[in-house]
Amino acid sequence: MSRTTDTPLKVERKHPSSFSQYKVLLTKDLLREVRTKEMLVSMGVYALLVIVVFGVALGFAAPGTDFLEVSGGLLWVMVVFTSLLGLNRSFSVEKECGCLEGLLLAPMDRGVIFLAKATSNLIFLLIVEVIAVPLFWLFFSSVALPAETAPLIALPLLVGSVGIAGVGTLLSTITTNVKGKDVMLALLFIPVVFPLLYACVAATVAVLVGGDVMAESFATPLALAALYDVVMILISWFLYDFVVS
Amino acid sequence: MADSKKRTAHKLPEAGQWPDVLSPWVIVAGIILTTLGFLMAFFVVPPVSGATVNGAELVGDTVVSNKLLMSQKIFYFHMPVAITSFAALAFAAYYCVRFLITRELRFDTCARIAMEVALLFTVMTMITGEMWTRFEWGVWWTWDPRLTTYLILMLIVIAYIVLRNMVDDPIRRAAFASVVGVIAFIDVPICFMVTRLIPSSVHPVVTRAGGMTPEMGLCIALVGVGMMCVAFALYRARFRQVRFAERVDALKERLDD
Repeated sequence: MSRTTDTPLKVERKHPSSFSQYKVLLTKDLLREVRTKEMLVSMGVYALLVIVVFGVALGFAAPGTDFLEVSGGLLWVMVVFTSLLGLNRSFSVEKECGCLEGLLLAPMDRGVIFLAKATSNLIFLLIVEVIAVPLFWLFFSSVALPAETAPLIALPLLVGSVGIAGVGTLLSTITTNVKGKDVMLALLFIPVVFPLLYACVAATVAVLVGGDVMAESFATPLALAALYDVVMILISWFLYDFVVS
Repeated sequence: MADSKKRTAHKLPEAGQWPDVLSPWVIVAGIILTTLGFLMAFFVVPPVSGATVNGAELVGDTVVSNKLLMSQKIFYFHMPVAITSFAALAFAAYYCVRFLITRELRFDTCARIAMEVALLFTVMTMITGEMWTRFEWGVWWTWDPRLTTYLILMLIVIAYIVLRNMVDDPIRRAAFASVVGVIAFIDVPICFMVTRLIPSSVHPVVTRAGGMTPEMGLCIALVGVGMMCVAFALYRARFRQVRFAERVDALKERLDD
């Protein structure tokens, strides 16, 4: 601290490390959310409404273990639609306030902007999942009880959310500058995220059903989902520069 | 729009290079080759016992009905069209990367036209594939890895083209579209790998045996080269049209100045 007081501000401006830039951007997003609670409320309510719609859809199904195999997919339907809603909003806010232009004028690596935005999207998505997944269990445990391995569901959810936040941040940056952005984001996001979704649903179903299915198809899908995360986040990070400037 | 005019004002977009002289001959060759292949598929190549899967492998099916035999003929169009669509997509991805490196709008035009040709061939593959699936497996659609991946690929190509229509600024449109093109190019192989490696109960069990007879190979090659010729001629014709339109715009702009 003493060094910064001795030398003028100039030195401090010259060496803001990427990590401190990242922290500032992330804090800005989180602080905004704490004050407005806009994203979390809209995503949480949306997730609840999706559960209500599932309740109608499943209201006529007979209780049974078959439900477990479907519920993994249903859970991911909820996650994907909720995340679409959140991703759509995440950049429109920046655009309305002219914040994105300000960020682009600042002399910093575009990758840092990407990482900060992806992290804040990930945090919001995870918070909503922490609320919505127990709700899902609460409403549908009367139809079929999941196996004992159910708590492991956190793993596919985490891996899936990381990928969704990473690719989604890139695609939502593209679609904020586009006419009809809501439709466009869905049209780009769902095909691109399809492999991740496929792998995560397989792992989630394995966790819920347990037993032989768990042993057979849990590790491979999870590993594939993690591979997708690594490849797609690297490529999104690399391509982000072309999208924002 | 204004930006592109500014860019092109000092340098007119070129059109009508040497491949345009070739393309009428190429399309004639394409028509002759595909017609020859069509005739050959029905009159020369003997009926196959059982039928083929999407690719080059044969199904070792013992029960053979007349219907199955005739439905197999579509293979001689399905596979060449599918390969041509992959070639068009590979060119599109190549031009997307070229654009991102050089930032020249010319490559963006190339990528866009290659994507349009790819969409045409992708839809043709889908239609022939669905007809074949209907007679082969008895259903219009199954979530087989190849079919799933191909559906995702078609959706991304459609998304690419819709995205282009949604952006007005040409430079921005080119950058967005190229990024989506590159992502699609990486996503599709992952999709194929994921759907293939994860066991699924819906996947139909298909036993594969045998290969192609020389006659079948020749027929496939004829139609394949023919389809490539048609794709190339279509690409050049569209490219010529778009470039001339750009050139006219640039000339008008110059006259206004």
